Amino acid sequence: MTLLRALFSRMLSLVVVLCVCFFALEALPGDACTTFLDQDAQDPELLHNCRVKLGIDQPIPIRFAKWAEALLHGDLGTSVARDRPVAEVVAPHLRNTFLLAILAASVAFPVSIVLGVLAAVWRGTAFDIGMSAFFLVAMTLPEFLIATVLIFIFAISLQWLPAITVVATGAPILEVLPNIILPVAVLSLVMVAHTMQVVRTRVIEAMQSDFVETSRLRGLSFQRVLLGHALPSALPPTLNVIALSLASLLGGVVVIERVFNYPGLGTLTLQAIHDRDMPLVQAVVVIFALTYVSLSLLADLISTLLDPRIARRAD
Amino acid sequence: MVQFRSKIALVVVFALFAASPALSATLRISHNLGYGGRESLDPISPTRFFEANQMIYDQLVRAGPDGQPNPALAIAWSSSPDLAEWTFKLRSGVRFSNGEPFTAQDAAYSLQRILSPKLASPVRSVLGIMDSIEARDDMTLSVKLKQADADFPIVLTDYRVRIVSSKAAGGDLDAVNDSGIGTGPFKVSKLDQRGTTVLAANPDYWDGKPGVAEVDIMAIADQDARNQALLAGQIDITEVTPGEIGLFSSNAKFIVQRVPAGLWNPIVMRTDTSPFNDVRVRKALRMLADRQSLLSLVVGEGNGAVACDAPVWPGDPYYNSSLSCPADPEGAKKLLGEAGYPRGLTVDLYTSAAQPIMVPLAEAYQAQAAKAGVKVNVRVVPVDGYWSTTWMTPNRPFVVGNWAQRPAAQVLNEVFRSGAKWNETAWNCPDFDALLDEARRSGTIDERKALYAKAQAILAEEGGAFIPFFRNEIRVYSSSLDHIDNVPSMMLRWHKITKK
Repeated sequence: MTLLRALFSRMLSLVVVLCVCFFALEALPGDACTTFLDQDAQDPELLHNCRVKLGIDQPIPIRFAKWAEALLHGDLGTSVARDRPVAEVVAPHLRNTFLLAILAASVAFPVSIVLGVLAAVWRGTAFDIGMSAFFLVAMTLPEFLIATVLIFIFAISLQWLPAITVVATGAPILEVLPNIILPVAVLSLVMVAHTMQVVRTRVIEAMQSDFVETSRLRGLSFQRVLLGHALPSALPPTLNVIALSLASLLGGVVVIERVFNYPGLGTLTLQAIHDRDMPLVQAVVVIFALTYVSLSLLADLISTLLDPRIARRAD
Repeated sequence: MVQFRSKIALVVVFALFAASPALSATLRISHNLGYGGRESLDPISPTRFFEANQMIYDQLVRAGPDGQPNPALAIAWSSSPDLAEWTFKLRSGVRFSNGEPFTAQDAAYSLQRILSPKLASPVRSVLGIMDSIEARDDMTLSVKLKQADADFPIVLTDYRVRIVSSKAAGGDLDAVNDSGIGTGPFKVSKLDQRGTTVLAANPDYWDGKPGVAEVDIMAIADQDARNQALLAGQIDITEVTPGEIGLFSSNAKFIVQRVPAGLWNPIVMRTDTSPFNDVRVRKALRMLADRQSLLSLVVGEGNGAVACDAPVWPGDPYYNSSLSCPADPEGAKKLLGEAGYPRGLTVDLYTSAAQPIMVPLAEAYQAQAAKAGVKVNVRVVPVDGYWSTTWMTPNRPFVVGNWAQRPAAQVLNEVFRSGAKWNETAWNCPDFDALLDEARRSGTIDERKALYAKAQAILAEEGGAFIPFFRNEIRVYSSSLDHIDNVPSMMLRWHKITKK
C-alpha cells in the first residue's frame, strides 16, 4: 500500500512538472522561429513560413494535447529546431550524462565511506576537523566556482588536463573518458561532501550504541566491531543519502556540463531552451523528472527494506 | 584535440603531451554552435556553417583591406557603359576538391541559385539586383542587372556569396548544395558540427599551398569555455569582448589583435513617429552626446572609432571623413526648446543584451542625456524575441540596434533607402534616395565618393540613427601562429596562416 501511494504521488508530481514546464516556456517571449531567424524575424513572411513549417502556428492547448497524446504512446516527438526524432537527439547526450554521473558516484561512494569512517574513528582529531572543514566549504561553494578554480589550477596553470571537453556527442566511451577527469572530480567532490558527514555521524552513533558496547565487552577487537557491526548499521542511511544526492547531482550536471563544454543532457537542455525547441525541452524534463522520482523512490525503498519499523509505522 | 586523444586516463600522459606544443601543423579554431548543430555546408543557407564554408569555397571577388574588390576566382571584370551588364573573366586551371574543373557554369549556377525563392536564402535580398546570369563561354560569366550598379563587384564580396560545384546538385537551382565540394584552400575530411569538424589542406590551391596541414573546427557554445580552451592550449584563436582582453593581454603566450572594423550599434529614432518626427528633436538627441566618452565607457579606449551617425565605417573607400560631431548639450537644450520641449523631454529607450554592449550603451547615453534635460528611461527587455517584437515596431520608436560591417552601397541602400526592408529609422528622403541612385549610375569612383559623402552628410544632419562609434573586432591568438592579417575576420585569408 505504502509503495502504491508513493508511486501515485510521484506520478502526480511528474504530470505537474510537465505542465508547469510546458506553459512556463510558452510564457517566455519568442519561439523557435524568432530565435532561429534572429534579426530576420522582422520579416513577417519568413516568420510565418517558418512557424507553419515547424507546426508552431497552432494554439498552445492543441499543441499540448498532441504532445501529451504522443507521449502516452511512448513517442517523444520531433525536435523542431533539429528536424530529427527527439529520442535520436537525446540518446547520446543521455549516455554521456549517465557516464558522468555513474563515474562520479563510483568515485564518491568508496571515498566518502572511507573518509567518513576514519573521521568517526579519529573523532575530534585534526584529521576529523580538517576533513569536515574542507568538505563543508566544498558543499557551500557553487559547483561552477569549484569547476572554474580546478580549471585554473589543472588546465591553465599546470596544463595537465584539458580545460574543456572537445569530443563528438556520440564518441566512443574510451575517447570521452580522459576528457572528463575534471568534471568527475568536481561532481564527486560535492557528493563526498554530502555523504561523508552522514557516514561519520552514523558510525559514531553506532559505536556508542549498546550492542557495540556489548560486543566490545565480549572481547571482540575494535576492528571487528567497527567493520562487522558499526559500519553495516551505518550503511543504509548512507545509501539513502547517496540516492538523493545523485538526484540533486542532476541539477549540478547542467551547470557543470556547460562550464566544461560537455555534450551531455545539461548542455542539450540549455541549447533546447535557447532554441525554444519545446518537444526537446519537454523530453529532457521528462528524463530529469523520471530520474529524480525513481531515485527518491529507490531511496524510500532502501529505507523501508532495511528498517522494517518505517513500513510498520505506515500500516 | 589530437593531443588529448589519448585513451589512457593518466595525468602523467597529459603532462607529457601538454608540455610539448603540438608539432603537427593543425590550426584549431572554434564555432559557437549558433545554429544548434544544423550548421550547413551550403554557403547561402540560413544556417550556413560559415567557419567551414569560408575555407572550403572561394568567392568570385573578395574584399581587399581597402574595401575595394580584389580578384579571387574572377580575375578581371568590366561593365557595359550603362553599368547594367557585367562581364567576369574567370581563373582557369582551378579544380574542385573532387578533381572536376571549375568553369563559368559553376559560377553562373552559384549566383542563380541565390535568387531561388524556394531556398529562401538571406543573401537573396543582397543580390536581388541581379536579373539574369549566364556563362558566355567556359571562362566568361555575364550578369545582367535590373538597374545600373557601378559597385556590383563590391556587392559580390558578401561573405556568403561563394562558388559551389553545379554538378554536386545536378544543376538543380532549388536544391540545397551542401556537398562541401569547393575550390577553396581546405576540403572537408570529417563533418561534425557538434563535435570537431576536420578540414584538410588542399595542396594544389591556386593561391598557394596552405600554411597548415589541417584545420579543426570545434563546437564550443559558451564564450567562457572558449576563453578557457584558448588559455589551456586547446584552441589557437578566438574572438573576445573588450572585457575579456585582460585574460590574455599580460600573457606572452597570446597576441591580442584589435582589428579596426565597422560593427555598429545605433540608437534608432523612428523618423515617422512623435517626437522623433521632428528633425530638431533628432538633432538634439544626437548633439547632446559626447561620443568619445561613450566609446571609452562602453567598449574601452582603443576598441573602436568615433562615428558621426553615418553607417559607413572609416575603412570603407566611400567613408566621409569630413563629418564632425562635437558634444553640445547646451545647443541640444536650445533646439529642444525650439521644438516645443523647453522643460526637457522624457523618452523610453528599449534595449536588450542581444549584443553585450547594447545595455551599457543605453545606460551611458541615459546619463549623458540627463545633462541636456532629456530623461531617458532605459527599458531592458529579454533577448528572446527582441528582433521580432521590439526592434522595428511602430510602438517602439526608440531602440538600440545591432549591425555588422557592410560596404557603403549595401548599408545605405538596405538600411536607409525609403521602403527598404531594414529601414529601421523609417527614413524617407527623396533627395537621399536620388543620391544613391545617382551613385549607382556614376562611372568613376571619385564621383561616387562625392555622392555617397553627401548622402552620409544628410544622415548626420537629419537622419534618425544616432551612431556614436564603430566597434573593433578583438582577436586573441596563440603566439605560435603567424601571418594573421589585421583585417576583420570575414576577410581573413586562412590559407596564409602558419603555425610553429
